[in-house]
Amino acid sequence: MRILRNVFRRRLRAFLTIFGITIGVFALVVMGSMAEKINLLIDGGTRYYSDKVIVNDASTGMGEITTTPISVGRVQEIEGVEGVARASAGIYMLLDEEGGMSMGVPQGIIGGDFRNVGYEKFELTMADGRDLTPEDRGKAVVGCDVAKALEAEVGGTVALRGTSFEVIGIYDKTLTAPDNTVVISMEDVQGLLFAQLPAIVQQQVEPSQLATSITAYPEPGVDPDQLASTIEGAVPGVKATGPQAFTDQFKSATKIFNSIIFGVALISLLVGGLSVVNTMTMSVYERTREIGIRKAIGASHRQIVGQFLTESALIGFLGGATGLVLGWVTTLVVNTLMSSSGTVLFQLTPRLAIGAVAFAIVLGVGSGFYPSLHAARLRPVLALRYE
Amino acid sequence: MNDHETTDTETAKSEEGTDTMKAIVSVRDLAKRYQLGKENYVDALRGASVNVQAGEMVAIMGPSGCGKSTMLHMMGCLDEPDSGEVWVNDRRVDDLGAAATTKLLREEIGFIFQGFNLISTMSALDNVALAAQYAGRSRREAQSLAREALEDVGLAGRADHRPGELSGGQQQRVAIARALVNRPVVIMGDEPTGNLDSASSAEVIDMMREINLTTGTTFILVTHDPDVAEACDRVIHMKDGVVTHLEGPEVTSTNIPEPARRELAYAS
Repeated sequence: MRILRNVFRRRLRAFLTIFGITIGVFALVVMGSMAEKINLLIDGGTRYYSDKVIVNDASTGMGEITTTPISVGRVQEIEGVEGVARASAGIYMLLDEEGGMSMGVPQGIIGGDFRNVGYEKFELTMADGRDLTPEDRGKAVVGCDVAKALEAEVGGTVALRGTSFEVIGIYDKTLTAPDNTVVISMEDVQGLLFAQLPAIVQQQVEPSQLATSITAYPEPGVDPDQLASTIEGAVPGVKATGPQAFTDQFKSATKIFNSIIFGVALISLLVGGLSVVNTMTMSVYERTREIGIRKAIGASHRQIVGQFLTESALIGFLGGATGLVLGWVTTLVVNTLMSSSGTVLFQLTPRLAIGAVAFAIVLGVGSGFYPSLHAARLRPVLALRYE
Repeated sequence: MNDHETTDTETAKSEEGTDTMKAIVSVRDLAKRYQLGKENYVDALRGASVNVQAGEMVAIMGPSGCGKSTMLHMMGCLDEPDSGEVWVNDRRVDDLGAAATTKLLREEIGFIFQGFNLISTMSALDNVALAAQYAGRSRREAQSLAREALEDVGLAGRADHRPGELSGGQQQRVAIARALVNRPVVIMGDEPTGNLDSASSAEVIDMMREINLTTGTTFILVTHDPDVAEACDRVIHMKDGVVTHLEGPEVTSTNIPEPARRELAYAS
């Protein structure tokens, strides 16, 4: 209570200083939450791709979301390459015909041939209903974010590219790509993909042969990156991408983004920190006489330093906690407002929340250190004369 | 009181016709120069020497700027002399380090100031308890001691009031309680009645005298107030940075060794 009273002796100044820290922590929390969300997506992607090789048509660009078909027939060719335990064809296509801008992973439709069962280690669990089986047709299992966007419920229907599907399940939140994905049978997704192909292409392909990628699962002990090179060498006309290439691509894409986000937030905090230095310096000058009194009645250097550091730490904490609460409310409101479009922009993680407040406290203590030391070194007799 | 004309140097040298008792505070040849600019300075002390014996109550008087407050601050380790010695309770204290000075201020010296110097955001109880807490007591113990000290000065009923809610006399009594709470051997007052009306002043003087007589705590009071001087055992007179004469018996220390060599700075 006494520390609080000391901090709020000059109410307006204390509020303004705390407000400065609040803005900094608010910026750190909001922008950090955005970075955390993207990092989680990247982590999920990295985990997903960590044990497999993705094979596309050779004309496909690196990391591109492609609908350039690759023939299902090539599954056997790829499976014949030494080191490949299993190959599985799949189709990924955007849910929205126009694609559109999206923060993070766009909403998509996916279908597979079920040949990956027993090889795929990226497990999805059900929040509601059941998962898709090879026999299901006209049925969909929906990722949790896209379920909100499509207002999908188990037992209801969703329209995918103009075709109605019965919703049989909703996946648990993964905080990564599957949250924005609808899974339907291979046959169904082949139909959707075929329908959007130009007529001239349609004449040349069989819908049942359509795929957009083939996933190759390495045999135990085979390095997937090495396997990607082997596949490219052995199978003509394909592009094989191993985990390292995905990781490198993800990291370079997020590195600059993260740097900008944290840079802006840190500048805000630096400004807040300077206002703490200013406040604490003013406080020391205003309380010079009090410091003299304290020293005259036996306060040690350490106790004087401790007193002022505690006050500056409290300023940091109050600013940090307020900034965290405001940031949390903002991310919650924005996420809720955007949930109708299936976009989750922010992910406030415990490490970010604790880190932001801890950083604000450290900032307060660091900023208060010089003024505290100055206070402790005042000669009592001079301090007592101070008016 | 005897009016014994002497000089500061004589005070230190004289052995005849003096009381030889234990000096609780002793200063020898204290000199202090305050630099006011590149070329201007003031010699606040120019070789002041005096002994104060345990259990007495003495006043230090003299015109403004004579160095009496400066000497008191050095006796109480709030300031350092340029040369000379300060002894408190058989220990030389003018060259103590920060930690030892802090310990001395906690355990052996209490201060009372003209402007009361209470912390305005704290209650009377907390102001007094703070000194006990600095002396290493737990908060609960410090509060208990502070209550006792406030009772001693007749302010138990005002313990929860902040300084702004108390009269000048009451504030000074809180300051006395704060000075008293760690049971120091000496309490030093710098114009303790300077901001008080005559009634409050009389109250405070009576209180200090009573504490002095009942507990044996030594009081050294810098004052312009003749009533304070009247209540004291002795009066030390100063002028131009030196002790000019004493009213009352001269006290020669038996417990503090003579220095091997005196460094007398700024002596005229």
